[in-house]
Amino acid sequence: MTLDTATPVQPDLDLTITRIIAAPRPAVWRAWTDSASFEQWWVPAPALCRVVDMELAPGGSFRTEISEGGGDFGPHITGCFLAVDELERIVFTNSLVAGWRPAESPFMTAVITFADHPDGTEYVSHVMHRNAADRALHEELGFYDGWGTVIGQLAGFVEKTG
Amino acid sequence: MAQYHAPLDDVFQALADPTRRAVLSRLGTGPATVSELARPFDMALPSFMKHIRLLEKSGWVRTRKVGRVRTCTIDETSFAAVDGWLAAQRDLWEGRTDRLESFVTATQTQEKRS
Repeated sequence: MTLDTATPVQPDLDLTITRIIAAPRPAVWRAWTDSASFEQWWVPAPALCRVVDMELAPGGSFRTEISEGGGDFGPHITGCFLAVDELERIVFTNSLVAGWRPAESPFMTAVITFADHPDGTEYVSHVMHRNAADRALHEELGFYDGWGTVIGQLAGFVEKTG
Repeated sequence: MAQYHAPLDDVFQALADPTRRAVLSRLGTGPATVSELARPFDMALPSFMKHIRLLEKSGWVRTRKVGRVRTCTIDETSFAAVDGWLAAQRDLWEGRTDRLESFVTATQTQEKRS
């Protein structure tokens, strides 16, 4: 797992997905940073994704739209990039929008890393969330402590089957 | 990812009721029989059983009948569904990673052919 040391994991708010993709790093990087390619995989079919802005630089606008069920395109991600390190790392957030202006509804920051691996590219998404929307519900239900275990099991399951 | 829990609508609908939340809260501390669970509620047993059935159908609770006693336990797969939020986010990112992988490997194959 390649995590930026500056972003320690908070298991109740973060998730990390690691995948070895059988392709060289520049190919994975291109699939992410080329808008036409990005649109092909960002949202699940039959929904359609449209990249409005992908200004790959700190403070650069990152805006995508989504169309579900053949309807009009509506906002999907409205945020900005925080770091773009060629072939290595993309950090974006929806807590800030273009030019680092504070966003209406901050929610998450994603750190995407690309690293060489003997079988291709180690692709890691580390996603940090502001808070768990249903944390209060979990606590009301009185089994909040059990949650972490379940998440741990789920993560294990996901990574095994991934 | 989708097939190991009940549809999220069902999972959340099950939580939209104070009786069912109280039942889950009680079951969070360990298994209980239906009559134990029903005791705090001023409710006829058939009405209470409807709540149990709904919790069962939505994947929150498993029940097992031995003789005349039905015991309920919490079904952890729904925690994964409602953990909701984080699990849904995980599903989302997992799906994105799946699709990126398919896209890149398909593109690679095409490039090798051409």
